This record gives sequence, structure tokens and C-alpha cells, in this order.
Amino acid sequence: MLDLASVLGDVRRGMIPAHVYADPEIFAAERDRLFARSWVFVAHESEIPDPGDYVVRRVLADSFIVARDETGVVRVMFNMCLHRGMQVCRAEMGNASHFRCPYHAWTYRNDGRLAGLPFHEEAYGGEDGFARAGQALLPAPSMGTHNGLIFISGDSDAPALSDYLGDFAFYLDFYTRQSPAGVELRGPQRWRIKANWKIGAENFAGDSYHTPHTHASVVDIGLFREPKASKRKEGALYQAGPGAGTTYKLPPAGNEHSALADQLRYVGYPDAMIPAMTEAWSDRQRALVAESGFMPSAATLFPNLSFVHNWPQVDADGTVAPFVSLRQWQPVSERETEVLSWFAVDAAAPEDFKRRSYKAYLMCFGISGMFEQDDVENWVSITDMAAGSMARRLTLNSRMGLTSDGKPLKPPLATFAGPGVAYQGFGEYGQRHWLAMWSDCLAGDAP
Amino acid sequence: MTVGRPLPYGDPAHLAAHQFLVEEAALLDAADYAGWLGLLCEDISYVMPVRVTTARGADFDSLADMGHFDEDMYALRKRVQRLATDHAWTEDPPSRTRHFVTNVRTFRDEGDLRVESALLLFRSRGDTREASLISAGRTDLLRATPDGLRLAGRTIIVDESVLRTQNLAVFL
Repeated sequence: MLDLASVLGDVRRGMIPAHVYADPEIFAAERDRLFARSWVFVAHESEIPDPGDYVVRRVLADSFIVARDETGVVRVMFNMCLHRGMQVCRAEMGNASHFRCPYHAWTYRNDGRLAGLPFHEEAYGGEDGFARAGQALLPAPSMGTHNGLIFISGDSDAPALSDYLGDFAFYLDFYTRQSPAGVELRGPQRWRIKANWKIGAENFAGDSYHTPHTHASVVDIGLFREPKASKRKEGALYQAGPGAGTTYKLPPAGNEHSALADQLRYVGYPDAMIPAMTEAWSDRQRALVAESGFMPSAATLFPNLSFVHNWPQVDADGTVAPFVSLRQWQPVSERETEVLSWFAVDAAAPEDFKRRSYKAYLMCFGISGMFEQDDVENWVSITDMAAGSMARRLTLNSRMGLTSDGKPLKPPLATFAGPGVAYQGFGEYGQRHWLAMWSDCLAGDAP
Repeated sequence: MTVGRPLPYGDPAHLAAHQFLVEEAALLDAADYAGWLGLLCEDISYVMPVRVTTARGADFDSLADMGHFDEDMYALRKRVQRLATDHAWTEDPPSRTRHFVTNVRTFRDEGDLRVESALLLFRSRGDTREASLISAGRTDLLRATPDGLRLAGRTIIVDESVLRTQNLAVFL
């Protein structure tokens, strides 16, 4: 029998009972207390640019149609017919003015409103037996967008998305607003891994410590020059609002007036993109990169949306090209996760940059990515071990960066340009930040 | 896709193409990736589009701008170099793979051969994990060179929209 209070007590002091990575009772609590009310990413507006465009996305077992209606408004609708519960859309993407249920032909407009049903008069006696007015596919209880990212929450009283994102919105811009044009998403690649969904989310929230070893092979082959331990430990780890992430410390820029451009060039952004990046970012955002020299890399927005920004070498001539990926850890069960991995690129970027960046993404992340391959090997193996009985005797130490009495080993960075708290060097600050939010959700009542 | 009629099975060009695919599969199953690279043309395009579930009549069922692979020779060489390091953890211990190649049809395509095949990749890792299967169709472009046939292009059409294998640290 699960003693949740004991589990959460351990987690809050940075000692994680290993079974939480393969425990059906924990998974049920996550479903009922966390995913039932958290803001969860479902799609980006660039995936449905035109009226009638739709994608179908899940939040655990619930299938949602994310559609742009005829007036251009984005709608998120539960994909279940009001009559007998059939899925009204069984494709994962496309363009449609209406969704017609295959069972009895109840038909809905792409804004969710019921447009018609057969034999309304004969079968129901018309409006008296079944009033069509106001009938619509169930909308997501709450919906919000930020930088084109579409989120939903199962809680109709959820805080406004902008309130939820809080200080993390500052960091989101580095991935999803590199120019006023915003980003476009491609993909996603989708695949299932026999790993618990939390492991990837925690990893991206702050695990700079794994990079030098797990990803040693990409340094060996000269694909990416940064992950050497000597460089990785110079990066800042930040925790801000519902997110946390890692950065790389770039070499000092020469001239303070050209520092931002120098740092962006160093990671491979072409001169053609730099003015728009400069314009899109605030003084503080520019200062993070230009003055502090911290370039955002991996991050996680609680609960299950992660980001990565790396800059590998994409050809034999030594050309460096940056890429951005968004990835979602979609829980299937306590032991299985569907990964959705998108390539994201500034919509206004030159086509040749988009090609280079896409190539950089494919070589590093996604199902064939040379970083991601080794990450997933670790996560599958952890999940496998966490399912046994010995794992119930083991608490995993996630206290890196804390003294024995729970104080930070060193003070936060005093001059860090971004909001939140940041530490330089290795430490599991971001993972504990994520786990604290996880604990808060699981400690709450089911809605 | 392919136009025209396939070569008769007794045609020497078909036999050579079929043998090429079988020999290639043997190199991959033996993890002789350096040998495998030797079968590729320097200008190879090695592509595996993301397959998607769309309505009948939607006129597409894979993504034009996103693949699981979209490789040139530089990228394939890097992948092979990586597997040869001491730090490619996901393939150490290595997977046991078997590339089953069947339904081979060969077409003349100007000076080259266009070869369609069905591929079933069985992959087993460790002693507790379920094995994975990847089913795909392939369309290859084989070019005659002084050293024999070489692979100039491959398009892999995978039969799942959500792959059930932990990664693609393998070639198809």
C-alpha cells in the first residue's frame, strides 16, 4: 500500500524512493492529481496555420482535436461524440470543415458545434426531443496560448496561463520567439519508450552533470564541442516559475557593443537573423546571452514539455548550426512514455539556415538523434530496475548542490540577468525544483 | 513512385540488385558499419519520412518536411564513427538485429536501377526487454560503378506512425 506522505517527504528532501519511476499507484495519483489540472502543452499554432487545419493530441488517455475554425480561432475539443462516444476524428492531422461521427453521422463544425444529425425529426421528434442549440463537442476546460504554444488544463478554474508561466516565460522566448515572426514547428517524430515519463522531464530541467559522460561519444566524434565536463560545469542552472533549465557558458565576447551578435554567431546564427533576434528580446534577455555569456540549452516546463538548444557541426567543413527542439513526455503507463519531438525554427529564418538547423536537429535529437539515443538507454534501464522489490528499499540521492543540513553549497549567482534563481556549476537544483512541483500536485486533492 | 514494369526475376540486373540488398543486410546484421559505408555513394540521400495517420483522400500520409532520418554522407559517417567509440552506450551491449529483405522488385531508371523491397527489422536488446519490430518499404537507387553496384539513394517508408523501438541507433 502506497504511503504517499512518506514518499513526498523523502522527495522533498531530495531523496527519491526509486519505485516512483515504475509504480502504478503513483501513476494513478499523477493522472488524478497532476495531469487532471496542470497546464499541458498540446500543439503549436504553426501546426494548424489555415482555417480547418487540425491535429489530434492526447493528454494521457484523453484525445483532443486542436483545430483552427473557419474564423481563424483555435479550438481544443474532446474527441468524443456526444451521442454514443465514438471518436469523431481518427486521423492525427488534416484539414476539415466538419467532423462526422462514423457511428450515426452526428456532424460537428470545426469549432465543435453540432451541425446536424440524421432524422432529427423522425428519431427525436425534433427540437422537443433533442435540442440541437448549444450542443458542441466538450471544449477543453481551460485553454491558453503563449508564443503560439497551445496549452490546456483539465481544471476550469486553472490560473491564467500567463500567471502560470510566470518567470519561465522569459526563458521560453529563447526557444519560441527568436524573431517577431515566432517559430514554426515541424513533426513531431513520435515513438514509444519503456521509460517513466518523469525521467526525461527531470533530466532536461537541470542535469548538466550527465552530459559529459552520457554524451561523451558526440564529443569523441567532433559533432558538438561543448559538452566536455570542463565547459559544462561553467554553465548556469536556473529555476524560474514552473520551469528550470541549463545553459552553456560561452567564451567571452570581445566588444561589449557587439557581444550579443558575437555570441549568436558563435553558436551558428547567421548575420541575417541577428537583428530580428535583437529586436525580439528584451534588454534582460539580451544581457543573459551577451553580458553573462549564458546560452540557454535544455529546459523543462512543468509538467512534461522540454526544450533543447544545441549547436553541433553539420558538415565536414566545420559549419556550426544551432537547432531548437520541443519535446513532450506523454505518459502511457508508469513504465511507458510516448515521446513527441518537434523541430522548431524561426519562421522568418533564411531557407538555407532552416536546412542546416533541421540537419543539426536530426543528428542530435529525436528518435535517431545521437544525443537522444543514449539518454533513452539510461531511462529505459532505470524504469526496468525501478519496477522490482529491491527498488522499494532504495532512495535515490538527488541532493547534489546541498549541504547535509539542506543549504545550498554555494550562493546563487548574484549577477545573473534572468529571473528566478541560478547557480553556476553542477547541482540538481532544477530537478528538485521540478520534483517540488510534482510533490505539491500529488499532495493536493484530486479535483 | 515507380513507373514501368519490374524486370523479370531472371534478369541479371534484378539478380545483382537482389544480391546487393542481401549482402548489405548481412553487413548490417554483422555490425560491419565501415563495410556498409563502403556500399554507399558519396552523394547518397538516406531518408525516412515521418509517417502519419491521415484520412483516406487526404493525399498525404507522411510528412514532407520531417523525417526520422534525412542523411547525407557526412551524417551517416558521424553515426558510424559514433558507434565505433567506446561511449555509444545505447549499442553497448549491442542489439541483436536481423534485417529480413523480401518482395524485391527491380526497375530500370535511366542509367540506374530502382529497387523496391520490404524490410522487417527484428531487434533484441538485453535479456528482459521485449524485442522490437520495424516494418518498412524501401525504394533504393542503385548505381553501377567500377566497383560494382552502390547505393545512391534510399527512401524508407515505415509502416508505423508511432515507432515502438527505443531509438534508431540502427540502419534500415
